[in-house]
Amino acid sequence: MTTAGIDMGAKNIRVLILKDGEVIARAEQMAGFDTAESAEIAFNNALGQAGINKDQIDRIVATGAGRESAPLAQETVTDVGAAAKGGNRLIPQARTIIDVGAEEGRAIKTDAAGKVMDFAVNEKCAAGAGSFTEAMSRALEVQLEEFGPLSLKSSQTTPMNAQCAVFAESEVVSLLHAKTPKQDIARAVHDAIADRIVSMVRRVGIEPEVALVGAVSRNVGFVDSLKRGLERDVIIPDDAEFVGALGAALVAAEG
Amino acid sequence: MFTQFQEWYDKRHEYAKDWKQRTGGKVMGCFCSYVPEEMLVAGNILPVRILGSHEPQNVTEPYIFGMYCPFCRDVLAQGLKGRYDYLDGITLSQSCIHLRQSYVAWREHVGVPFDYYLYMPNKVQARAATPYLKSELVKYKAHIEEINGRELTDADLDAGIAAVNRNRELMHKVYEFRKGDTPKLTGLEAMYMTVSSTWIDKEEHSAEIEKVLEQLPDRQVTRDTGARLMLVGSEDDDVSFIDMIESVGATVVVDDHCTGTRYFWNSVVPDDDRLMAIADRYVKRPPCPTKDWEERWRFPHILELCKNFDVQGAVIIQQKFCDPHECDIMPLREAFVKSDIPSLFLEFDVTVPIGQFKVRVEAFLEMIGSEDLF
Amino acid sequence: MTNYKSEPLKCWQKAKELRDKYYKDYQTAHERGGIRWTGGAWSFDAIPYGLGDDVYPLTGEPYAASIAFMKDFSLECLEATEAKGWARDLCAYMRNYWGSMYLNKWAFGGEFPKADFAWQDHICCSHGKWDQHVAEYENIPYFCIDVSVGPHKDLDDPKLLYVVDQMHEGIEFLEKATGREYDDEKLIAAVNDECRQTSTWAEICVLNKHKPAPLDEKSMYSLYVFSTLSKAKKEYADFYEEVRDEMKDRIARGVAALPTERCRLISDTQPPWAFLSVFRYLEKFGAVSVGSLYTFSLVGIWEDKPDGTWGPRTTPEQAGIKIETRDQALRILADWNLSKPEWQHFYDPTLKTKMMKRIYDEWDLDGIMLHLNRGCEGLSCGIMENHWGLTDMGVPVMSFEGNMGDSREFDEARTMDRIDSFMERLDLKKIS
Repeated sequence: MTTAGIDMGAKNIRVLILKDGEVIARAEQMAGFDTAESAEIAFNNALGQAGINKDQIDRIVATGAGRESAPLAQETVTDVGAAAKGGNRLIPQARTIIDVGAEEGRAIKTDAAGKVMDFAVNEKCAAGAGSFTEAMSRALEVQLEEFGPLSLKSSQTTPMNAQCAVFAESEVVSLLHAKTPKQDIARAVHDAIADRIVSMVRRVGIEPEVALVGAVSRNVGFVDSLKRGLERDVIIPDDAEFVGALGAALVAAEG
Repeated sequence: MFTQFQEWYDKRHEYAKDWKQRTGGKVMGCFCSYVPEEMLVAGNILPVRILGSHEPQNVTEPYIFGMYCPFCRDVLAQGLKGRYDYLDGITLSQSCIHLRQSYVAWREHVGVPFDYYLYMPNKVQARAATPYLKSELVKYKAHIEEINGRELTDADLDAGIAAVNRNRELMHKVYEFRKGDTPKLTGLEAMYMTVSSTWIDKEEHSAEIEKVLEQLPDRQVTRDTGARLMLVGSEDDDVSFIDMIESVGATVVVDDHCTGTRYFWNSVVPDDDRLMAIADRYVKRPPCPTKDWEERWRFPHILELCKNFDVQGAVIIQQKFCDPHECDIMPLREAFVKSDIPSLFLEFDVTVPIGQFKVRVEAFLEMIGSEDLF
Repeated sequence: MTNYKSEPLKCWQKAKELRDKYYKDYQTAHERGGIRWTGGAWSFDAIPYGLGDDVYPLTGEPYAASIAFMKDFSLECLEATEAKGWARDLCAYMRNYWGSMYLNKWAFGGEFPKADFAWQDHICCSHGKWDQHVAEYENIPYFCIDVSVGPHKDLDDPKLLYVVDQMHEGIEFLEKATGREYDDEKLIAAVNDECRQTSTWAEICVLNKHKPAPLDEKSMYSLYVFSTLSKAKKEYADFYEEVRDEMKDRIARGVAALPTERCRLISDTQPPWAFLSVFRYLEKFGAVSVGSLYTFSLVGIWEDKPDGTWGPRTTPEQAGIKIETRDQALRILADWNLSKPEWQHFYDPTLKTKMMKRIYDEWDLDGIMLHLNRGCEGLSCGIMENHWGLTDMGVPVMSFEGNMGDSREFDEARTMDRIDSFMERLDLKKIS
């Protein structure tokens, strides 16, 4: 059986194709303004990679914030459901799955089969997600990809509040004025976001093992802060940003 | 001169643990300044006000929703992190809904041998408030007796009342030295003194104040007083903030905080009915806004403080999401305007953006200064 | 899949008329020489009825909920309040009410009718302060009763006396504020009507244990409101008896609120009034909210029944108690109100968790939705503990953030997304 999962994320669209349980293609495309068109591009790229055509795909399931507008999908699954399913496939021993994307962070408690038992999602304020890191790296005039490694250079804890993104930003400005080294500010920012995420994870309870998925898992500075906040290690699967698409493809395979 | 208070402020937990060891007494964690400390002192129990640590934390969200004030969450965080693991009991004296949740979560998730919810009335202006509170204090007395395994006698209560009253009176005397043209102490020093009094053994704290009082009259103050300010608002033990204010050309000469004057301003008037006398003190003390209705008792008191301490400007600080204070701030600012006292409003969180607050405080001081010119 | 029979509520039109009349009566009270007072849904409204038959209350919370339902006007009110400098995170009802007062605009047309006095109950950090400001702004006399004596299970005589003494003090205030002589007979009648009304409401809620539920929560909002407008009004007590009889009839005829009912939920706290669409969305999955601790017991008064179930509290009249004096009436009134289930958890969320679990079991539910309501510090108090406690007992729970009265703090799309996840968790798909 061949199935596809389309993750219609706020910033990126990811497509993953499964054939008899094995991943045979994955493709990524910036969401842009016309998300349906971007999804088509990503989907076609994935098909090309797999060397198959659309008709050979038995079932397509979409997930992500824009899942309702995904082309071709017969069904949808929520981000929470997809992350749980995908996370469980990659890290079967995980009972707590943390999924941090551009606009939203989620904490999911699952059972051994990947069924959602409880979940928490960060609310309107963006201080607990990837886009906040971007804004802060801009404020510090540091390239986003350098922001994580920069933070690792710091061994200094600088208290910063991330109850609200606006408040946090003004604290960053204060730190800049106080001539705090950039690496310490970078770490403060990551600590602050991690605190928000850890708070959310605690709402569902931290049950081992803990897996981290989603694009923000690529940020080494955040991961370091998160581990410190959780006071434990986290497992990051390969292709952590494709977990949602994988989950959707798995749901498609279940019919 | 105030270094001992600062050390007590910095090493509150070490102090309490040491006190426990050397006296064999028990330690009671107090939520809110309405806990009748006299009764605890009477039972040789050390009242310790539980405050936050001004550090970001990630442990309270499962228990207190983020719409409640950062202070109540910071307080709970201290318990969850085990920093008050030496407490024998906790007491909530009923006031705001925010802190109530810290108490419940502490009881449920931190755990402590004794817990007590004291139903301090909210309508302190009701004619039945004092007798009702007395009836609740009768129950609290039984609770203390249960903790101690012995009766709390009239003599114990008298001693407790005397010790706490003495501490209050001594702090009043220190505050007198903030009144003159050149205050003999800074607001920061006063803060170290009053805040530490909420967890230091009253006798020891009073003895230290007496030492300070011997030296204060002759203290040579070299710093410029600058603008004379009052701090008003919610709970405030933020030493870095007050230090910043006093570094840019101002001196904080008085406050209306529950960790400041509201905590110690009035004394128990001794009476044969000891519990009634204690109840009366808490009913009549300068109120928290959550208890200040239908009439306003709080504002005339604040304005009186302004007059007595020759205040030139007020900095109103508010814990984010603190409903009781948010309900008072607008009318309070109006009251200040009517009395020609300029005010600056700042919203506090667990940590504060000192840099930006500094800019605002400086602008405020400039404004007060320019008014003087004309 | 079973499809039940469904039909509109017969009492709907009367409910609409009664509610319109309430606000009209208040607005026009002075034309008839009557008295207007403002206060809250928790106020002891039986007491001012002792001033005469022409006394009309305006309870702030339901009035503000009506404003919140009118999204544009609500925004105007909220902005008017913010323009005065008040914090945005204060009680959303209070901010809507104050805004309407500042703008001098009555939600139902015309000018904002000024009250003759304010008569409030202090239940959360805002209530006593709410009408303190109203009284100062409108220059009217104000009296507020503190009920913070703890949960009913721990009630003793000194606690009851503290509340009752304030009531006596309040009657002196009423006489002074209005210049009228107080009539104890009218008070006694009002206390009996309040007990009858609020007990009958609980009886109506009990009928919703039936599967399929004859009443959904969205409709319940239009009915429970009367006890928030005036618990002690005879007309509403009579109306609730009609509603109860209609519910019994619906059950007898197998009439369901939702024809596709296959999942039963309850919500918690006030809903985001501008987004009752949440409940319609649930219906797409065959899910019906059969009530909440809030709709059951903000006004309903309950007790443990001999068979161990939760049911309407026996009224003094049902118990054969004849109220003879003012003091006796006030004692009964205080005790009755202090037993309100929705009041117990202001002190301790574990009490609420237990009550919710009880509803979960007795009403045979599949899950609970908690509205983390930024608009109400009173009802959101301890709500995270409820999530924790219920989850611990194996109850499927979802939470969503919002605000009952400030539409800017509700993210409709994300909430629906959250519901999708919860429905997935309950293995429910949309019914096509």
